[in-house]
Amino acid sequence: MRTERFARLQQQLETQGVDGLVLLGSSSVAYATGAAVPAQDGDRAALFRPVAVVVKGDSAPHLYTLYVDGAPEDLPDDHLHGPVFPDLDDGIDSFAKALADHFPSGARVGVDDQTHAMLRGLPPFDWVDASDVVGAAKITKTPDEIACIRNAQRLNEFAMTDALAILRPGVRQIDLSAAFLRRVFELGASANGIDPIWQVMAPTRELGPWTLHGDLAYPTVTTDRFLREGDVIWVDSGITWEGYASDYGRTWTTGAAPNARQESQFRRWRAVVDAALDVLKPGVSGRQLGAAAIDANDGVRPWIDHFYLAHGVGTESAEMPLIGTDLGEEFDERLIMRPGMVLVLEPVIWDEGFAGYRSEDIVAVTDTGWIKLSGSTYEPYGLSA
Amino acid sequence: MSPIPRDRGVFVGMMGLEDDARVDFKRLRAERRAKVLSGMESHDLDALMLGGVGDVRYVSGARQLGRSGVLPFAPVAVVVRKTARVHLLSTWDEGVPPEVGRDDLYRMSWNPANLAADLAKIPGLSDTRRMGTDGLTPMFAGLIAELVTKADLVDAAPVMATARRTKTPDELICLDVASAIAEAALSAMEDALAPGVTERELLGIYDQRIAALGAPMPPSESVCFATPSSGPVRFRHLTSDRPIGDGELVVLAPGALYAGYEANLARTRVAGTGRDAGDLASRCVRGMDALIAACRPGNTGADLYRAWETAGNPDPEVLLAHGLGLGAEPPLIGFGRGRDAVLEDGMVLSVQSWVIEEGVGGCLERGTVLVESTGPTSLTRYGRL
Repeated sequence: MRTERFARLQQQLETQGVDGLVLLGSSSVAYATGAAVPAQDGDRAALFRPVAVVVKGDSAPHLYTLYVDGAPEDLPDDHLHGPVFPDLDDGIDSFAKALADHFPSGARVGVDDQTHAMLRGLPPFDWVDASDVVGAAKITKTPDEIACIRNAQRLNEFAMTDALAILRPGVRQIDLSAAFLRRVFELGASANGIDPIWQVMAPTRELGPWTLHGDLAYPTVTTDRFLREGDVIWVDSGITWEGYASDYGRTWTTGAAPNARQESQFRRWRAVVDAALDVLKPGVSGRQLGAAAIDANDGVRPWIDHFYLAHGVGTESAEMPLIGTDLGEEFDERLIMRPGMVLVLEPVIWDEGFAGYRSEDIVAVTDTGWIKLSGSTYEPYGLSA
Repeated sequence: MSPIPRDRGVFVGMMGLEDDARVDFKRLRAERRAKVLSGMESHDLDALMLGGVGDVRYVSGARQLGRSGVLPFAPVAVVVRKTARVHLLSTWDEGVPPEVGRDDLYRMSWNPANLAADLAKIPGLSDTRRMGTDGLTPMFAGLIAELVTKADLVDAAPVMATARRTKTPDELICLDVASAIAEAALSAMEDALAPGVTERELLGIYDQRIAALGAPMPPSESVCFATPSSGPVRFRHLTSDRPIGDGELVVLAPGALYAGYEANLARTRVAGTGRDAGDLASRCVRGMDALIAACRPGNTGADLYRAWETAGNPDPEVLLAHGLGLGAEPPLIGFGRGRDAVLEDGMVLSVQSWVIEEGVGGCLERGTVLVESTGPTSLTRYGRL
């Protein structure tokens, strides 16, 4: 898997005429090197971040890391280096020297993030955004990458059964987080990616949080809020396994089982996803998928204004391909499905006055259609679909 | 309640109390904002554009979704000196404190051009001369210049790092609460520590405990590791699935975040009934005492290196100390860095002593230490080795 990913990066460097990459963002470093890093909160993750350097024509990435125990075993010794702390001026000269060894001055180097210490202290390369190279390499997944996503998803889903089992009136959002996180690590998750979300959906938009666009607020942050009889909860969580993210989305009800109206919201959600899946195969555009989903929802766009019908997942929890965003319809038109793309379909069925239904189905595009990577139970709604 | 309670312990809890006898978040946010605005004045910055999790939290006080890892720079918060207003990337108002008005919010966008267009509408931003940022990407450097402002983009750190370096009394209460949560997690891990348990299970217990207490995002998932009782001993960061053996020395090193503020501690315990750590434990304690004693205003990182060596230790293989506040902060003392960093009254440090002996294992003690003119104060309260 690491070899195939690295070959894709090399191929993109060649195609796009870039001499190499300097990567500082967690997901890009994970993609380029396969290095494991303990999950850390924002500023800690930044201060102690590993850095990946990819040199065009090289056989392996260079990894500069504090977390030696997370370096892949097959990384050659002369490609594994101590940390460079790119956020600090103190010691930036050693980073500058390392880069000067990798690239001639004036080289065209892709970078995903620049600290001011780097802007001051590094040689004057022709810096370009790394996202074109990394994005093009990542957009389709190898069979091994898809297996990692499927396994991350499986662990996430298993652990969620423990959280759902304790849900009853009087349980707090953080109690669900506690049950879920305990179990997901016991099951073998490498890391948690996001503060698990258990948002209680008000019956109308008006009764939910105020928003700039007038559409729903989602996701809002977990607190010690008590969950009460009848609360409709939109659940969302993501863990990683071997660097790959899961994305679990379901709707739960507190106390009573879903009523007939709620079950019909779920059936409509299923019909919208099925309509998109019916047309999904290589060659289909993002715009066609969006149109199929809108048709199945009687002409109403079945996703929130600030989100999408579908997003990709990989070493990032949401990455390309994005379908239905403010990148616009022309973007969606040009976004053509290819074998190896992974889609997280997360339409929202909103039933003003009665809240709504949201779940996430993950599929991988195959040579002829798609295969499903996420599970097919949607408790406490209709048992299977 | 009298203005200053004689027993500060009344602050160390997480419930809202009807007499407001807990941390005063309104005052905390106001003091942080005043420090930032006055720093902008003295460093002649007209605006700040910030993307770092800690910087955004510091200026806005917003409770935003916790996620692990580091993302490349993006403009998440903007401070304009002329208007003294803080603008925030948030599509809704939940989690946003009252002094950041609905007019001050801008939308989440997937299309960077839309984001830039929203930023351009921020009152007073387009005609700034000097704007501080806490990072850049080649793409945003271009977009900001083209669509938002022609201002010189300079480093925001002289303002932000200076404001954050020394803590206000309310920030210290948050750090006290975070310390207590981390200690609660250590208790839970210590209870569960026995031969046969795995590090990953201990990580699950840790996460369950902090989540149930209302702080589900850990500062780091690197919270424990067993050290081998034969062969070379290394500091490890990543959790393994190997059952812990009888008699092994196990490092338990949890942290916690309260309102974004991080405290942490580490203790080393013997799993099961084996040997006691004897001389190694005493060496660890001696190193720790020497380091803490050196945490005085006016001392530098070099004084910590010297204290460590004088206590009879070789070159440190890990950090000796780093700053704490909204996550991990500079200075970073260790890996040859931080010798010139000056300690100031009101700084909080994570200080650690790591010693090893082949055939015995490794011993880590870590604590959260407040630097004061009257001498160092340990915010950590937990039985030592």
